[in-house]
Amino acid sequence: MTAIAPTATLPRRRSPLAAASPLATLARRRFQLTTHTPRELAVPLITPILFALVIAPALKAALHTGTAYESFVATGTIGLLIPLNTMFSGLSVIVDREVGAQRELLAAPIPRPLLVLGNLAVALAVTAFQVLALIGFAAARGIHFHTDPTGIVWFAAAATLFTVGMYGVAETLASRVPKAEEYIARVPAIAIVPWFLAGSLFPIKALPGFLEWFAKFLPLTHGLALVRYGLLGDSTGLHNIWSMSNTTAMATLSLAVVAAFALVLTAISIRVFTRTALR
Amino acid sequence: MAIATNNRSIQPKPEAAAPPDARAIEVRGLSKTYQSGVEAVKAIDFDVAAGEVFGLLGPNGAGKSTTIGMLTTTIKPTGGSARLAGFDVAAQPLAARSVSSVVFQEPVVDRTLTGRRNLDLHARLWRVEPRLAKARTGELAQTLGLNELLDRPVGSYSGGERRRLEIARALVSQPRVLFLDEPTVGLDPRIRAELLDVIARLRERTEMTILLTTHYLDEAQKLCDRIAIIHQGEIVALDTPAALLAGLGGEIVELRVNGDGQAALESLRARGIADGDGFAVGSTLTLLLHERSAAEAIAAIDGIGLAASSISTRQPTLDDVYLQLTGGRIHEAA
Repeated sequence: MTAIAPTATLPRRRSPLAAASPLATLARRRFQLTTHTPRELAVPLITPILFALVIAPALKAALHTGTAYESFVATGTIGLLIPLNTMFSGLSVIVDREVGAQRELLAAPIPRPLLVLGNLAVALAVTAFQVLALIGFAAARGIHFHTDPTGIVWFAAAATLFTVGMYGVAETLASRVPKAEEYIARVPAIAIVPWFLAGSLFPIKALPGFLEWFAKFLPLTHGLALVRYGLLGDSTGLHNIWSMSNTTAMATLSLAVVAAFALVLTAISIRVFTRTALR
Repeated sequence: MAIATNNRSIQPKPEAAAPPDARAIEVRGLSKTYQSGVEAVKAIDFDVAAGEVFGLLGPNGAGKSTTIGMLTTTIKPTGGSARLAGFDVAAQPLAARSVSSVVFQEPVVDRTLTGRRNLDLHARLWRVEPRLAKARTGELAQTLGLNELLDRPVGSYSGGERRRLEIARALVSQPRVLFLDEPTVGLDPRIRAELLDVIARLRERTEMTILLTTHYLDEAQKLCDRIAIIHQGEIVALDTPAALLAGLGGEIVELRVNGDGQAALESLRARGIADGDGFAVGSTLTLLLHERSAAEAIAAIDGIGLAASSISTRQPTLDDVYLQLTGGRIHEAA
C-alpha cells in the first residue's frame, strides 16, 4: 500500500503574470458557466434590439423625425443593454451562493476580491459582445453611425467604465439581497428607470427642471452623452450637461464621472462581497 | 492507490513556512457569537496531531459546522485562535487555506459543469501543477469509482456520486488537513455505507489529517482516532472512542418503566440502586453498573416493585456517553 503524502501547496513567489492566474481561472469558470446558460447571452439583448430596430423607426415615422433620431435611439439603447446585462450577471452570483460552488471558492487560497473581479471580467466580455451585436444589428437595419478612431476610443472608454460601475451595482445588490426573487424585483428600478431619465429617447433638456437637474447626476447620462459623442460625433448631450464650449473638456469631465462611478462601485462591491461572504 | 507527490514546483514562501513540529490543527479558546447574539461556539480548545482522524460529534446546532467554518476561514471567530499546520487562520488565511480542503455538508459544486471541470477548477485554484493534477484526477477517479462519471455534468449525478466527486475534488490538492462536514448526511443507508468505506480506506491509505463532523455515532466510532463531543457550543468530552466507552463500564442496565422515567430514576437513586451518573430519557432509564453485577442490579430493581415493562443489559455505546454528558440522545437533538 502506498501513501498519499500531503503536500505543502503554498503559494510561491510568482511573476505578476503568474499572479493573475487565479483571476484567469475564475474568469474561465464564469465563462464556462455562462456558455452553459445561453439565455444569459441572449435575453438581455432582446429589449434593446427591439428598441433599436423596431421602436426607433416607428417613433421616427410617427413623430416625423429624421434619420438622426434612429441613430439617437439606437445609441440610447446601449444605455439599456449594459444595465440589463450586468444585472443578469449579478443574478449568477446569487445562484453561485445558493446552489453553486461559492463556498468552495471562498475556501480556496486566493484573495477573495478576485472572485468579484473574475466575474467582472466575464461580465465585461459578454457586454462587449452584446453591444457589438446591437451596433451590428442597427447598422444592418440601415441606422447610421458617424465615428472615427478617436470617437471609438471615447465610446469604448465610456462603455467599459459604465459596465464596470454597473457590475459593481449588481454585485453589491447580489451580496446584500438573500434571494433571487428579491433581486429580480429590484432590477427595473436600477436598470430601467434611470434609462428613461438619462437622455436615452429624448434629450434631458426635454425633462422638467428638477428631473433635468437630477439627470445630470446619473452616471448613465454621462455615459450616453459620451457614447453619442463617440459613435455619432454628436456633443449635444455633453453640452446639455456641462454648458461649456470646449467639447473635449466636457467629454473628459463626463468620462471622469463615469470612471469615478466605476471605481467607487467596484470598491464597494468588493468590500460588501468580502464582508457578507465572511459570516 | 498510488498518488505521486511532487513538490518541485510548489515551494512555500519563506515567510509563510510553517514550524516543522506544528500540530495539524491547534484550537485555543475559539469562540463565535453571531450578530443575533447566538453563542454558537464557546471557547473550545483541542489539538489534532498530523495524520490523526478527529471527530466532532454532536447534534445539529451544536457548533460543529461553525467550528469548521472558522477553521476554513469562512466564518470569522469572535474570540480565541486556531492554526492549521502552524498557520494562524486569522493572520495567515491564504496560507491556512492552501494547506486544507473541505467537503461541505451541502452540495457545493458547479452543477452545469462536468465533474472533471470541477476537479480542474480546484486544482488550478490550489495551484497544483497541471500535469500532476491530471494524474491525480485519474487516480482519484479510479479509487472513488468516478471514471464513468467525470465527463458528465454534475447536475446529473446522484447524491452519493456527487459526494464522492466532492471528496475527490478535496483530495486533488493533497491537503495536509481535510475537513469533512457531515459527509454522509442525507444519503440513503447503502450509499452512506459505501461512502464510509471510502473514507475508511482514505484514512488507512493517507497521511493527511482529517477533521470529521457528524451526528452519527457509528460513523464517529468507525472512523475516528479521537472524538470531541460538542454540545451547545462546548466540548463536553474528548478522548478515544474506547476511552469514552470505558468510562461507562463494561455493561449497562436499561429498563423501560410505566410512567415518569425521571421520577423512577430518582426513586432508584434514593434506594441506592442507581448512582448519580444514571440517566433517563422519557420512560427509558439507563443505569451504569460500576462494581455491581447486572444480576444484582436487576434483582434490586425487582425487589422494590418498580413497574418496569422491560429490563435488559447491553454494551454501552457512544450514544450513552453523549446522553450521560448532555441529557439528550444525539439523534433526538439532531
